[in-house]
Amino acid sequence: MRAGYYPRLAFEGIRKNRRLYVPYILTCVGMVMMLYIISFLAEDVEKIGFRGSETLSIVPSLGTVVIAVFSCIFLFYTNSFLVRRRKKEFGLYNILGMGKRNLSIIIFYETLMIAAISLLAGLPLGILFSKLAELLLLNILRVEVNYEFFVSFRAILLTSEAFGAIFLLQLLNSVRQVRFSTAINLLHSENYGEKPSKLNWLFGAFGAILLGGAYYIAVSIKNPVSALAAFTVAVIMVIIGTYLVMISGSVMFCQLLKKWKSYYYRPNRFVSVSSMVYRMKRNGAGLASICILATMVLVTVSSTTSLYFGMEDSLYERYPREMDVDVSVYSVSDLNAERIEPIMEAIDGVNEKYGVVPENGFSYMTATVAGMVAGDEVETDSTQVNELDLSAGGLFQFYFVPLSEYNRVCGKSETLNPGEAMIYTPRAEYSPDRISFHGAGSFDIVKRLESFPTDGDAAASMAPPMVVVVPNLEDALGSLTQVALYTGDPLVTAKLVYDYDTGIDAEIQPEYSKAVGEALLGLEGDEYRVRYRTVSSREDDRQDFLGLYGGLFYLGIMLSAVFGFAAVLIIYYKQISEGYEDRSRFGIMRKVGMTDRDIRKSINSQLLTVFYLPLIFAGIHLLFAYPLIEKILTMLQLSNVGLFAAVTLICFAVFAVLYMLVYKITSNAYYNIVRGAKEERE
Amino acid sequence: MSILEVSGIKKVYTGRFGGTRVEALKNVSFSVEQGEFIAIMGESGSGKTTLLNILAALDRPTSGSVILDGMDLSRIKESAIAQFRRDNLGFVFQEFNLLDTFTLEDNIFLPLVLSGTPYHEMQERLRPIAAKLGIPGLMKKYPYEVSGGQKQRAAVARAMITNPKLILADEPTGALDSRSSDELLRLFAEVNILGQTILMVTHSVKAASVAGRVLFIKDGEVFHQLYRGDASDSEFYQRIADTLTTLSTRGAEE
Repeated sequence: MRAGYYPRLAFEGIRKNRRLYVPYILTCVGMVMMLYIISFLAEDVEKIGFRGSETLSIVPSLGTVVIAVFSCIFLFYTNSFLVRRRKKEFGLYNILGMGKRNLSIIIFYETLMIAAISLLAGLPLGILFSKLAELLLLNILRVEVNYEFFVSFRAILLTSEAFGAIFLLQLLNSVRQVRFSTAINLLHSENYGEKPSKLNWLFGAFGAILLGGAYYIAVSIKNPVSALAAFTVAVIMVIIGTYLVMISGSVMFCQLLKKWKSYYYRPNRFVSVSSMVYRMKRNGAGLASICILATMVLVTVSSTTSLYFGMEDSLYERYPREMDVDVSVYSVSDLNAERIEPIMEAIDGVNEKYGVVPENGFSYMTATVAGMVAGDEVETDSTQVNELDLSAGGLFQFYFVPLSEYNRVCGKSETLNPGEAMIYTPRAEYSPDRISFHGAGSFDIVKRLESFPTDGDAAASMAPPMVVVVPNLEDALGSLTQVALYTGDPLVTAKLVYDYDTGIDAEIQPEYSKAVGEALLGLEGDEYRVRYRTVSSREDDRQDFLGLYGGLFYLGIMLSAVFGFAAVLIIYYKQISEGYEDRSRFGIMRKVGMTDRDIRKSINSQLLTVFYLPLIFAGIHLLFAYPLIEKILTMLQLSNVGLFAAVTLICFAVFAVLYMLVYKITSNAYYNIVRGAKEERE
Repeated sequence: MSILEVSGIKKVYTGRFGGTRVEALKNVSFSVEQGEFIAIMGESGSGKTTLLNILAALDRPTSGSVILDGMDLSRIKESAIAQFRRDNLGFVFQEFNLLDTFTLEDNIFLPLVLSGTPYHEMQERLRPIAAKLGIPGLMKKYPYEVSGGQKQRAAVARAMITNPKLILADEPTGALDSRSSDELLRLFAEVNILGQTILMVTHSVKAASVAGRVLFIKDGEVFHQLYRGDASDSEFYQRIADTLTTLSTRGAEE
């Protein structure tokens, strides 16, 4: 055959099926664009190098991986629709004398054309919009923008490589499908209805168990530290469970409807229910995909949005005062007035220079250690602890505070007998009446405190803090004060906490806090028995917070755009492919005496039967995931939990409206295809 | 009493830009009596499919009228035509036109369901028809699970279940092997004896020979017609074959 023949056949194939190919190619273009932009940003952020950019640069890198992997899975999914549609055409070519080899060449040219269009259109669009994306990102981060424009060749290379690989995989997959089917199979591939599997109920039950298990994990987790690992497990369980339940549920549901004679044999339901039965598994899988994408969008948007908008709250939680000074000393026995004096003097020296008069300050001595709670026992030896043990009460960061310090800071005059303690647990519950530290003291809990001015370090700790007010530090910690970690540092950190407001301008604060840090540096060493000091300020950290949360927020928006786009496309393809399948059927029905109005009604009825399912399921997923996400957000220092609830609700409502709109529009596309059967005949 | 009155039908197809005019039907008139079994014969392009489409109210004639049981088809509003077709006409197609999504039973029920007939009534109507057509055991099967002959019998059942005034059959044996064709034709004859009016378009002499009367269409006109009278199937077959020979030779002379 002549050389130009195959490309022309391939091009005609795409042109004739443009209703299917145009959205597919647009998706490819969109994905290429997204990948370029996101990898461009990764490079861009490094280049600009603003405060917090180190924290931020991880976010686009993460996004690059997520988008590349997702593109691969998703394009495979949509490509399967195309292959199914094209099989008939290929079957015809096959019968007309084209070998499998020739068909493979046509497929090769088709893939090549699509790949070329996607990259040639996607990359320039990506380059075009990358500046806009950058401006949006920098705006979210409140960083000053410059108006330089550059093209990232690294991003172009990365995008081309990733999509080259994806298209190659798709080519192999399509060729495989054509190779392994006979001409007759190809011709009739659309005609056979799906048979319900005999093991259907088993799959359904298994799916339900998976979902139930995932829900249980999500609800029962008490401690955010173990939540991150469990979250991954739960997500995988939810995805598999949703597919199994939706597919087998849809099969069962359809069969049930069919058995219910007085429901089934009604003009508007007869056709819709039977076509749902005809493709019940595919239907279930499609609904499950939509549901999972919907859940992803909702989780991403609501959590990142709450983090971003709750940032100020979190910042104030992390820094109850403008300054947070932590000075660790060599051991618990060094926590006394004599050792503290030079520290305070050093700070005062800097204060004088900057004209700072500390306000609203509080300072206290504390000894802190992390420990795993099981029942009313606490194990502080990390080699004895299995962090994934979900049934355990979980990890706490303990802050031992002597009673005298508590009374001084809080202006109280409480008394404690030996062996008694008061506790304060702001972020997690502790219900037993006793607490017993392995290798240290045991205490009856005589009082649960309403408040205690915990410092920023406690707020930033991943493990929830527990303040334990004891009569005497050294008695309480016993032999633990002697234990050293393999790094040589003591297990128990003894330190002075000093938080205060400066009363000077925000712009000078970073400089001031640096000066305090330098002044305290001079105290480190054996003479003053200071191990190290941490000086940080709210203003200092604001940019880091912005880098992280702004970046997450931005990534959240980008990812939900991608996921949302994918969900819309799946709905579209579902409608279009079903439309083509149903087209000849509606032609026959019209001959038998079905009016256009009947057809409209039957389409609407089908829509109403399945329309709400993914949305309802996504809602249920979200409901069960809520406590888990809330805990993870708490770990990321989101303190305004009410905000998260509100944002989630708003997201769900907005999503529902958009979803409804998309369904309405795509069902029109379906109707137009189905009605096309009439025009074709005449 | 005549159930179908076709008078002076003319159908002209105009090309897309009004250029070429094709006269598919010039002037067709005939009438069908209640309980008759009529076959319409003609070569490809003689206009018989156009005629059938007009009789089925799928297409409208350029001029002339079709009156079914006193109702003028051209007077029925577009919106009511689907329902009219459902209530008054039964269809049997060459390619069966059964729906893959339905079992045979549901395929047969389709027109009744569209008219909102209750389930138990549909069941009662189906039982005698399925028995007569010899397919009661296949009701729960899907079309792709049964043979062509069985599919066509299901299609006949679908045409009959509404008790239509007229069954229109378009090359019903066209896609069947000879044994299935014979069975189907015998079935048509039996149904016709019970009083069902049938109008069948075919170019198979064998199929036409079971009818009571054969109309020959050529170049858009009814050219000739044959009545069976007392003739047996094989005698009638011979006469039809002779007529077709005459028709084609005369066509060649012109």
